[in-house]
Amino acid sequence: MSEVADVLVVGAGPSGGAFSWRLARAGVKVVCLDRGYRVAPEDYPTDQPDWESRRIRDFNPNPNVRRLPQDYPVDDEDSPIKPLMFCGVGGSTIMWSAASPRFHPSDFRVRSLDGVADDWPLRYRELEGYYDLCDRMVGMGGMSGDPANPPRPPRSTPPLPLGEGGERMARAFDRLGWHWWPVDGAIISRPYRGRSACNNCGPCEMGCPRGAKASADVIWWPEAEEAGARIVTGAAVSRVTVDRKGRATGALWFDESGAEHHTRARVVVLAANGLGTPRILLSSATTRFPEGLANSSGLVGRRLMLHPVAAATAVFTENVGSYVGADAYSIFSQEFYETDADRGFARGYLMQVTRGQGPLITALGGFNLDIPWGRGHHRRFEELFGHVVTVAVLCEDLPDHDNRVVLSDRLADRFGVPAPKMIYRFDENSEKMIDHGLANAEQVCLEAGASEVLLTRFLPQAGFHLMGTARMGSDPDDSVTDPFGFCHDIPNLGIVDGSVFVTSAGVNPTPTLTALALRSADHLLHHRDLETPWN
Amino acid sequence: MELTNAQRLKLNAALDTLLPGDEWWPAAGGLGLVDRVLELAGLDPSHPGMVAEACSALPADFHQQDSDARTAVLERLEAGNSALFGVLQLLAYNAYYTDARVLDVVESRTGYEARPPQPRGYVLEPFDESLLEKVRTRAPFWRRV
Repeated sequence: MSEVADVLVVGAGPSGGAFSWRLARAGVKVVCLDRGYRVAPEDYPTDQPDWESRRIRDFNPNPNVRRLPQDYPVDDEDSPIKPLMFCGVGGSTIMWSAASPRFHPSDFRVRSLDGVADDWPLRYRELEGYYDLCDRMVGMGGMSGDPANPPRPPRSTPPLPLGEGGERMARAFDRLGWHWWPVDGAIISRPYRGRSACNNCGPCEMGCPRGAKASADVIWWPEAEEAGARIVTGAAVSRVTVDRKGRATGALWFDESGAEHHTRARVVVLAANGLGTPRILLSSATTRFPEGLANSSGLVGRRLMLHPVAAATAVFTENVGSYVGADAYSIFSQEFYETDADRGFARGYLMQVTRGQGPLITALGGFNLDIPWGRGHHRRFEELFGHVVTVAVLCEDLPDHDNRVVLSDRLADRFGVPAPKMIYRFDENSEKMIDHGLANAEQVCLEAGASEVLLTRFLPQAGFHLMGTARMGSDPDDSVTDPFGFCHDIPNLGIVDGSVFVTSAGVNPTPTLTALALRSADHLLHHRDLETPWN
Repeated sequence: MELTNAQRLKLNAALDTLLPGDEWWPAAGGLGLVDRVLELAGLDPSHPGMVAEACSALPADFHQQDSDARTAVLERLEAGNSALFGVLQLLAYNAYYTDARVLDVVESRTGYEARPPQPRGYVLEPFDESLLEKVRTRAPFWRRV
């Protein structure tokens, strides 16, 4: 293929989708390469008798378990938290649970306010309009009026039902005098822009055949493609190419047969997530850029942030039907979100109420359960199945220079491109935050009437938020991209995924990375000359 | 995946030990799930040959031992080779909890409908705004910066 695009986007997930949507509708010729494929509604297995079996096999969110041909392995032996992601049109939103809280204004100012990490090179108010745009596109469900967050427009659809378990937890938060609110969620409770409403089926992470969940293939790509954007699936990008002047010229990629192609473009934008993007940059090393592209700061791959997640599971004597309803979209508490010096750690955490799971996943231990094999199995299964509600404690993960992504020397994808290797550990701040969060999560479970509370200090299978590995900033010595996501070293190379995050905040990142991508697109449209975008 | 008759007997006994029957629940081995376990193992490229390896790790007379002895054998396997035991357990549970006969028991014992979640979904009462009555009275407390 010898095609020249105005803009070549790598990765068809939410940020690549939103970015392409904005540009294509402005008349820009956009080509997007994704190593995965399209997933049609009929491909989702939740209407099949073996649907839970698929959850632990080809619909497993961990690529090292799923092992589809389009997946690349991740070397995770030096990380207690394992990677969860999906390759394909829609990216990881195919498997996300769609809880969509925003960053707080304070999240952009953590150095100034709390003396830790770094401030972002932008403020909340600069992103607010983009958050609102995302909300309208996805049909954000929820309620305005949350006292823990700045005011925002009325939500597009009402919150999803809480179910008995969620209502018990809400009343418990009230009795403790702690904040709670229906979390903003990208799942519609009523029909919206041609999409069907959620029917409370439960396993959102297995894909939504109704289109009620706002995965990027449903929200951004149909309009982007209608406006002329083109997606090439089965295109595994191996490296970004540069010319003698150090400008990006396109990307090399393998098709499913192993044939290599080069797509040329005036601007190249990476949207391949916090592992995939540094992997491509590091794999693209040249004589001119021996440490990888855009890496004069040495920060490509550094400062990996993952959000440690602890869990307290309330076990109720009564069956509260917790296998019904969107499994991770219910209510949240930000009572302990902001820094309080008396707690002994900086920043804070979100408590997110989640539901139970189906029979097989429950029997296997779910998030946090202890069901023995052998004689006690059935009795314990009956005690827990449908009787549990989990409070997940999602901790802000401060950037640490030593937490990083490098190229693996022992794993590669089927084309020989080295896998990303995660090197990650919890710092003392996270340890203290986990302890604090877990104690409070246990307290609210007991207040809700739990007969028993099961505690897990961290969930290994929780590496769904991949952030920080190509941070943005104003200083080229201390950041990979400028404040709009374009690389200091290579101005026509952009990054629009969670890699650019300066800090992680204590919330799910998708609304923020999508809003940032839209902002980057507007910057490209209005402040760059697409004929000579390096100027 | 092919197993010898001896391996099949041992696998069946292992299924019965992991998921024994009681007054309400059928034993996994009694449901004849050996072939389903092998089918599931064949669908998963991450553990080729591990079922046969697990069977080989069990004593020759495993299927003739009483329940306590078999339990002790599996406990030793779990402690000594957790990866191998984990695969065996995963496949056993996978076969058991996706079997229609077991799902009928799940329904009768818990009320969970023995059907896939889609396309019917489930009916829940809409979100009750009155729940927010107390928290709505709270003054905004996000940090203004």
